Amino acid sequence: MGRLAPWIGGAIVLIALPHVFSSGFALTLMSQIGLLIVFALAYNMLLGQGGMLSFGHAVYFGLAGYFTIHYLNFIYEEEVPYIPVTLIPLLGGLVGLFFGILIGYVSTRRAGTTFAMISLGFGEMVTALTLVLVAIFNGEDGIQTDRVIGEELFGVTYGPNIEVYYLIAGWCLLCTLAMFLLTRTPFGRISNAVRDNPERVEFIGYSSQRIRWLAFSLSSFFAGIAGALHAVNIEHVGFEQVSVLQSGLVLFMVYIGGTASFVGPIIGATLLYFLQSTLTGVTEAWVLYLGVMFVAVIMFFPGGLAGLITMHQPIWRVHARLLAPLLIPYTRFFAALVASVLGCIGLIEMLYFRSSRLSTETELVIYGIESDPFSAVPWIVFTGIAVAGGFAVRKTLPSAVSAWNTAIADARTLPRG
Amino acid sequence: MNSALTLTGVRKSFGATEIIRGVDLEIRDGERHAIIGPNGAGKSTLYNLISGRFPPSAGGIHLYDTDITNKKAFEINRLGLTRSFQVTNIFARMSVLDNVRCGCLFALGHRYAWWKLVGRLRDLNDRTVLILKDIGLWGKRDLPAGLLSYADQRALELGIAVAGGANVILLDEPTAGMSHSEIEQAVSLIRRISEGKTLVIVEHDMGVVFDLADRISVLVYGEIIATGSPSEIRSSAAVQEAYLGTGAS
Repeated sequence: MGRLAPWIGGAIVLIALPHVFSSGFALTLMSQIGLLIVFALAYNMLLGQGGMLSFGHAVYFGLAGYFTIHYLNFIYEEEVPYIPVTLIPLLGGLVGLFFGILIGYVSTRRAGTTFAMISLGFGEMVTALTLVLVAIFNGEDGIQTDRVIGEELFGVTYGPNIEVYYLIAGWCLLCTLAMFLLTRTPFGRISNAVRDNPERVEFIGYSSQRIRWLAFSLSSFFAGIAGALHAVNIEHVGFEQVSVLQSGLVLFMVYIGGTASFVGPIIGATLLYFLQSTLTGVTEAWVLYLGVMFVAVIMFFPGGLAGLITMHQPIWRVHARLLAPLLIPYTRFFAALVASVLGCIGLIEMLYFRSSRLSTETELVIYGIESDPFSAVPWIVFTGIAVAGGFAVRKTLPSAVSAWNTAIADARTLPRG
Repeated sequence: MNSALTLTGVRKSFGATEIIRGVDLEIRDGERHAIIGPNGAGKSTLYNLISGRFPPSAGGIHLYDTDITNKKAFEINRLGLTRSFQVTNIFARMSVLDNVRCGCLFALGHRYAWWKLVGRLRDLNDRTVLILKDIGLWGKRDLPAGLLSYADQRALELGIAVAGGANVILLDEPTAGMSHSEIEQAVSLIRRISEGKTLVIVEHDMGVVFDLADRISVLVYGEIIATGSPSEIRSSAAVQEAYLGTGAS
C-alpha cells in the first residue's frame, strides 16, 4: 500500500489541479507541463538511466507531432481509419518508436561523445528536412489541425481545454508509471549498468550496444507520445518542435531537475516551463537566467534540485526531528542567496533596458518600484544588495554545510526509528 | 584429459610491438591454474585475448570444443567463461545488490526483458542472496558499490564475475593491494567459488599462487617458458633465472 501512495496522491493532485487553477492560461500551462513531464522522463531514460547525452531527442517528439497533425487532418477528410483522439497519443508513440529504432540503430553503436555528436547531426538534419520538404512539413509555418473530430465516450469532444487537460493528465500518469516500472526490469537495471560501466557489461553476457539501442527506442516511444499530446494540445506543430533548441530545452529541464533520481525530470519540467511561460512576458532576459541557472546547477549541485532533496533523505529516514537544527542555518543562507540574486537581477534588467533598442516601454519597473536605469541611484542600490548578498552567502554557507554534516553524522549513529 | 581452454600459437601485436609472441597453453577441465610472470610479461593482455576484449593477431583459442578466437566478449561469456579485472571494475552508482543481480541476469535467461520486474524474479533474488552471503556483503547490500572499501570492492568484483555461474573463471590479480588478513579471506573465498569449476588466476603473491594452484605457467616477454606443478616450477632452472631469481619473493 505504501508503494501505491505516491501514485494515488499524484492522481488526486492531477484531478484537483484544474479546480484550483481554472483560468484558460493555467489550463494550457498545466497541459503543456504534463506532456513535457512525459518528454523529460523519456529523455532521462537516456541521460540519467542509460548514460547517453543526446542533443537531438526532439526529433522523435516533433516527428510524432507532425504525424499526429496529419493523421487528424486525414481523419477529418476520411482518408484514414478513424482513431479516437483519446488513443491518438499511442499512434504518436509508435511513430517515435519507428524513428527511434531506425536512427537509434546507427547512433547507439557508440556511446559518449560519438553518440552525442551523431544525435546533434540527426537533430540538425531533421530540422533542415522539415524546412525543405514543404509538402509534408510546410516550412517555417508548420502545420495545423482541429482536434475536434467527433464525439467520443461520455460525450467528450476535446473541444474544451479542460477535456484536453484530463487527456494529457491521464497519459502523463500512465507514461510516468510505465517508465518508473521500466527502471525496475532486467532491462532497466542493465541500462544503469551500461551507464556506470559499459565495458564490464560485455563480460556478464550483455551487448552494451544492444542495451543502448533498446533504451533509445523505448525512450523515443515515450517522446513520441509527448509529441502527439503536444499536437493535440496546441493544434500546431512547426520546425521548432524538432529543432535542437527544443532538444536543448529538455536537456536543461532534466539536468536542472536532477538526472540521478526518477522525480528529477518531473521537477525540472514543471519548474522550467512554469518559469518560461510566466517570465517571457515580464523580462527579455529569461534565456540569460535560464543559462545562468543551468551553469549554477552544473557547478554547484550537479545532482540537480532532486539531488538537493535526496541528500537529506538519509536524515529524515532516521527521524524527521533531525532536520530541525538545519532550519536556521538554511534560512540564513537562503535569505542571503535570494538577496544577492535579486540584486543581480535588478542590475541585469537595467542593463537590458539600456541596451535594448526594441523596447517600447518608456519606464522600467523592478519589483514594483520604478527604477530609472539612467540615474545612478538604482545602480548603487542594486549593486549594494548584490554585493552584500554575495558576502552573506559566503558567510552563511559554511554553517549550513556543517549543519548538514552534523545531521548526517547523527543519522548514521542513531538507529532507524 | 579434457581441456577447458586451449591456446595454440596465440600472438598479439599493438602496432610494431608484439606483446604476446606465440603462446601455447592448455588449461585442464576442473584444475586451478596460475599464470605468473614479471610485470609487462603480457598476462593481462593474454586475459584480454581469451575473454574477447580484443582479438588475437594470430593463433586460435578454444573453450572446450568451441572456437572463440574471434568472438565478442559477451558471446564468450554466454558460452560459460567469466573474468574479473585487475583494476576494480564494478557498477559504482548502483547498489551492491544490483551489481550482483546484473551479474546473474543473463545467465538466468532474463536477458533484455522489459516486461518483468526484477523484484518479482524469485530465481534471480535467491541466487543474488546466495552470492551476497558468500562474498560477505549481505550486510552492505543497499550501499552504492562505489562507497565500499577497497577489499569489499574486490570481493564484489569476484561476486559479479561468478554470479552467472560460468564454468571457466579467469581472475586477474584478485588480491592485489590487499593486507595480509584480507588476502587470507580472499583466498578462501576464491577456493569456495571455484569449487568444481576451472580456475585460471594471474597473481603476483607467490604465497597465494603456491597455495591455490594445481599447475602453474610462467609467462615471460609474451612466451610461456614453463608449465608444471608447483614443485616442478619451484625447481625449474629456467624459471629461477627468468623470474624467481630476479628479486621476487
